Amino acid sequence: MSITDAMLIFCSALSIDPRSQAHFGKFGSYYIKGEFYFDVHPPLGKMLVGLSGALAGYDGSFAFESGAEYPDMNFGFMRVFNAFFGAVMVPLAYFTAQELKMSRTACIFAAFLILCDNAYLTISRFILLDSMLLAFTCFVVFCLAKFRNERHDAFSLDWWLWLAMTGVAIGLVSSVKWVGLFVTALVGLYTIEDLWDLFGDLSMPKTTYLKHWIARAACLIALPFSVYVASFAIHFAILQNSGSGDAQMSSLFQAGLRGNQFMSNPLEVAYGSKVTVKNTGYGGGLLHSHVQTYPEGSGQQQVTCYHHKDTNNNWFIKRAHGESFDFANEEKPQIIRDGDVVRFVHEGTGRNLHSHRIKAPVTTGQFEVSAYGDDNVHDLNDEWRIEIVDEQSSHPRDGTMRSLSTTFRVRHRVVGCLLTAENINLPQWGFRQIEVYCDQRNRTTSPHSIWNIEQHWNEKLPAGGESQYKSKFWRDFWHLNVAMMTSNNALIPDPDKEDLLASNPSQWPLLAVGLRMCGWGDDKIKFYLLGNPIVWWGGTLSVLAFVSTLGYYVIRRQRKLQDISGAEWEQFQYAGKVLVGGWFLHYAPFCIMGRVTYLHHYFPALYFTLLLFSFLMDHFLFRPSVSARTRAAVWTVAFVAVGGTFLYFWDISYGIRGPASQMGHLQWRKAWNIVDEHTPSSFI
Amino acid sequence: MTDMAGPSENTTLRQRTTASSKPEYPTKLTEDVEVKEVVTSVFTPAEQKQSLTVLAGLTVLALISRFYKINEPDEVVFDEVHFGKFASYYIQGTYFFDVHPPLAKMMLAAMGYFIGYDGHFLFDNIGDSYVTNNVPYIGLRALPAFLGAMTVPIVYMTLREAGYPIVTCALAAFFITFDNMLVTQTRLILLDSMLVFFIVCSIYSYVRFHKTRNNPFSVQWWTWLLATGVSIALTTSVKMVGLLTVATIGVAVLCDLWVLLDIRRRLTMQEFMRHFWARAFALIFVPMVIYLFWFYVHFAVLTHSGPGDDFMSSEFQETLHGNTMADGLYIKYGDNITIRHKDTSVYLHSHPHNYPRRYEDARISSAGQQVTGYAHADPNNIWHITSDDPSNPKTGEQVMNKDVIRLLHVSTSSWLLAHDVASPTMSTNEEITTYSTEEDGSRLNETTFQIMLDSGGDKFRTMASAFKLIHVDTKVAVWTHPQKLPEWGFEQQEVNGNKNILQKTTLWWSDSVEGKDAEEIEQEAAKPVKKRSFFLKYVELQGKMFSHNAGLTGKHPYQSQPIEWPFLTKGISFWTQNDTRKQIYLLGNPLGMWIAAGGLAVIVGIVGADVLSRRRGYYPLNQDVQRRFYSATGFFFVGWALHYLPFFLMGRALFLHHYMPAQVFSYMILATAHGFIFVEGVDAPISEPGPEVRPRRLQRAVVPTLAYISAAILAAIHLASFLYFAPLAYGTSAIDVPGLARRRLLSQWEFHFAK
Repeated sequence: MSITDAMLIFCSALSIDPRSQAHFGKFGSYYIKGEFYFDVHPPLGKMLVGLSGALAGYDGSFAFESGAEYPDMNFGFMRVFNAFFGAVMVPLAYFTAQELKMSRTACIFAAFLILCDNAYLTISRFILLDSMLLAFTCFVVFCLAKFRNERHDAFSLDWWLWLAMTGVAIGLVSSVKWVGLFVTALVGLYTIEDLWDLFGDLSMPKTTYLKHWIARAACLIALPFSVYVASFAIHFAILQNSGSGDAQMSSLFQAGLRGNQFMSNPLEVAYGSKVTVKNTGYGGGLLHSHVQTYPEGSGQQQVTCYHHKDTNNNWFIKRAHGESFDFANEEKPQIIRDGDVVRFVHEGTGRNLHSHRIKAPVTTGQFEVSAYGDDNVHDLNDEWRIEIVDEQSSHPRDGTMRSLSTTFRVRHRVVGCLLTAENINLPQWGFRQIEVYCDQRNRTTSPHSIWNIEQHWNEKLPAGGESQYKSKFWRDFWHLNVAMMTSNNALIPDPDKEDLLASNPSQWPLLAVGLRMCGWGDDKIKFYLLGNPIVWWGGTLSVLAFVSTLGYYVIRRQRKLQDISGAEWEQFQYAGKVLVGGWFLHYAPFCIMGRVTYLHHYFPALYFTLLLFSFLMDHFLFRPSVSARTRAAVWTVAFVAVGGTFLYFWDISYGIRGPASQMGHLQWRKAWNIVDEHTPSSFI
Repeated sequence: MTDMAGPSENTTLRQRTTASSKPEYPTKLTEDVEVKEVVTSVFTPAEQKQSLTVLAGLTVLALISRFYKINEPDEVVFDEVHFGKFASYYIQGTYFFDVHPPLAKMMLAAMGYFIGYDGHFLFDNIGDSYVTNNVPYIGLRALPAFLGAMTVPIVYMTLREAGYPIVTCALAAFFITFDNMLVTQTRLILLDSMLVFFIVCSIYSYVRFHKTRNNPFSVQWWTWLLATGVSIALTTSVKMVGLLTVATIGVAVLCDLWVLLDIRRRLTMQEFMRHFWARAFALIFVPMVIYLFWFYVHFAVLTHSGPGDDFMSSEFQETLHGNTMADGLYIKYGDNITIRHKDTSVYLHSHPHNYPRRYEDARISSAGQQVTGYAHADPNNIWHITSDDPSNPKTGEQVMNKDVIRLLHVSTSSWLLAHDVASPTMSTNEEITTYSTEEDGSRLNETTFQIMLDSGGDKFRTMASAFKLIHVDTKVAVWTHPQKLPEWGFEQQEVNGNKNILQKTTLWWSDSVEGKDAEEIEQEAAKPVKKRSFFLKYVELQGKMFSHNAGLTGKHPYQSQPIEWPFLTKGISFWTQNDTRKQIYLLGNPLGMWIAAGGLAVIVGIVGADVLSRRRGYYPLNQDVQRRFYSATGFFFVGWALHYLPFFLMGRALFLHHYMPAQVFSYMILATAHGFIFVEGVDAPISEPGPEVRPRRLQRAVVPTLAYISAAILAAIHLASFLYFAPLAYGTSAIDVPGLARRRLLSQWEFHFAK
């Protein structure tokens, strides 16, 4: 058993064209071209894809459309790069099993289970993030097991090494996908228990105990966090050009991207400036108005928030009534400052931003905002007070309104309410744009009531430069993470639509679902994502077997009947905590999560069940009552069953050539749709 | 556990379990051995009398708090809309559907029945008058109010049985008496009063059961064990939340069994299994029978078709009197039928007007005949159903599931057709039009549809069969949506071909067969109401209850998050009356709940400190105090946690009143926390002596004056806060604007008439 064998299996026959990598391959090209994009996953995995692309000499021009022909490039290398991560799982499983004190045969069996699982194999051979996620997850478990075996030799070099490696590993896995937080939780729980044990050691000096705490805080919190932050720092450093993800970020961040016009904005905003006004809440749009009127309430012109560039987003900032608003003739533009009372005049229709005590159309507890009157017809309800909240760039906080970097509230002068947009859509009459209302609750810290100037035009002021608009890294880091979180939570299933690719967590452990990875035409090479049934069922049964065995031992011990030695009992408990605990932490959250779930979400959990499978084989076979012959026989059967099934299902991983109907013999469960088209119907 | 172990083994055992807790304890033990007579009760007769007096006083207070002006408001308040209505349905035997099990609603109905209410009123809107509608609402409200009041003495007795001094028991009971939320919720026609009452009965019974543990299998032991089983069954029969009560009792039973399993208890495996099966029988089997019994009554009473029919399968509906399902006519080829959309109830319609060649947005249509959804009966809604083979129209044969059919629009004599042309309003969907029979038959394959039945068996019927029409050629489903067509389509609803054939909104049903004369219909319809086994009915209804409950995800202006409940950051407006500016606003007793939240924090702190210090080999608590703390307060805390934390996992819309059961536990915990801080020692032993019990040392708690003073202060704060907010709880008097502003301690409390 060696890495080379695994590599051979994982990398052979890569000349195929499936579709799922459309997504992540595309992200690779963004890195090569340096275009800013937005995605719900942290950047590390996609940067590695980008790196593999760069190494393969790929220039980022291919769009990775699903099913499209690859151009003349070494995309095979990109696949090998991915497959490598899948292959690394095999030796990691072997060495982890070794650290869990399994017998040599059991270690080989653990590695063999990983090697012969068709699902791991299939997913690793495509340009997806899962193989990296899996490899890093395995690495975390390996490091943790290594670290535990150093526990009697605290603060030795090896102890520090494996503690730090564990930290780095959880940093890496969490930087690929947030699913990595589950294995982080496993490490966290193990560490808490470990510290609890040490806490009970009355002979340990308090300073030593404190050192244990500090060591873990440094290696398991600070170190992973640095890795995670570093991945974002590199992400921002590489992606310097304006791209498809701009709109997810703050105005100030966008100004820092090449190819974006914001940096030519004049810096300070003056009376008479033409501006667009952006809501700072996550996903906030630009203040917008159009000639259509409200069908209810005041019946005046609608004011909304709109996400796309449009001239109807442009507003002039003018003086309040009664003061001179003939800005064209002013000699020197007067800069707007904190506390100024202004009017926002819509460029397209010439109407003033207006509010009054009439209830808003959707958020009926608050007041409506409309556009009303013009320069001649007006009243006090057109006037708004600017309240500056913060200055996000390095400029002094002197109450001057600057474009992009100054955030401010807009308070209605008469009613005292705040201009607010909280991502609530208007009905069809408002084109489902975002409702803007005037909030009387005075929630001064809500980002939905805080705005900034995005684009700014004023001929009398000098254009700004790149140096004027520097956003702070931590702010961007935080903003991007919040945006990822929000998008992630928005991935909820639509009850009206049944997503053919999605599956229910209850379907995973017994493999009640498979996934077509590409088109199913007779002339195509087809790939089917399905686990090796023996491996999956064995893994799931092991969890049940472990829990029942544990119950049996615990009850027997309460009756003072000891079936196994103290050391064995301790090892049994430890394996249970790490492996069953790991499985549980990677599986249970999906059962209660509201978002859409897919088969591949079970892959990390599966890894733990497979180690448990070998552990239990070992546990039951290596006892005096089992003869060497029986033992050998059972192992042989196990290896043959796993290997045989793998070969039997070979085609689904390496490609079904010819019509799928000839694959009827693989249809072990009715729920699989290898042959005929139907939706998986089985719930278990 | 040490109560039962033999004295000889006990000495060594003690040393092992307590280590260095209280070094003087073993020496004391030898002294106590002299106490030969077995202590039956730690409380003296005088104390017991005193306790009864306090109990009686608190019960009277509870009755007053719940029955005070129970006739006001004389209008329907909040969820009385539902539960009053359900009571009426029971009395009239009309089938309805609700996500909650039947018991509490049946109790309300029984109450109504006994006071002579005939169930004529349907409680349609909040604010409907009871007086003008002649509803005996005071009688209906009296039941929850009475049970709400009885919660108070039971909580008192629970704590008393658990061995707490009078001051602790009275404090808990007092807090429960004067909590605004418990008052509001229990004096209206709602289910929560019964729920909380049965929960505290379960806890009380279990405490009593636990105290008989030295005499296993005695009559008393069986009585309280069965009482626990019956109580949890009744709780669960009121609301599924009762399962959390089952879990609470379950945790206690498992701990108990675990101790019994210990080899040092010297029970043989047979004896242990007897214990096990006795509990399984009383706490699993008996409750299940009782729970099912109420459903049996439910089905036995509700025999007439009603608003709940639509929730159930057609097989179920056929068991109800007067249900249209039972009258469904079998549809045969050659019949003329009308087809209605399930979601929007419009008829599939066509008329001799064509789609405009060019739409406003410059897209182009086929200019074929319009097919629309029309809300009213009209001869243009009639379709003739025929087979896909013109040479074999199969006339007179039954239409079956998955048959391929064609539909002929009778008045314009044209075939329903779908084709790959964009629909008028949705460019992603196919246009549906018709194709005249006068033209040649070359477009036959575009006019064939497969009929996919979704319910009501394999034979196509009126009423009973919901079906999809899948266009055979292009695999789209005939679909309509509330989008109105412009003037050229007479503002009727657009019908188009939807590519997503899995959507539930593609379902249609047929409501009549034209031309069947009355006699024929009578002949077919004279079917008797069908029978269906109880278990099939039950399984279906229970499944629907779960799925419907999980589906209650719609937003509600007064919904709240579980994390907000202990801190009372949001209330619910129950009822308002514009003329008098009176209102009922559901809010707990703010100061009381905040004090209770503090009590919970104190408990967590004590446990944390105790666990940490024991880990460091330091034993801060007296062993008896510690045991009482974990077995009584700990049990209540598990009750609180299990009646609260699971809500965090629920996806449905949640409301403040879901916290009520947990709130009762939190007040009990508050009282015991107060006792832990101010009372010295514990009263022991409290459990009944048994044959194997060694002589027990009598211990008395010392209740210092400070305990009484502090309890009085807490009670005074609670009462003051209750009275201050009482007008909002009772809705009997209006508060002026500044008064409301003063009472708005948190800005999220959105009272009405505050301006």
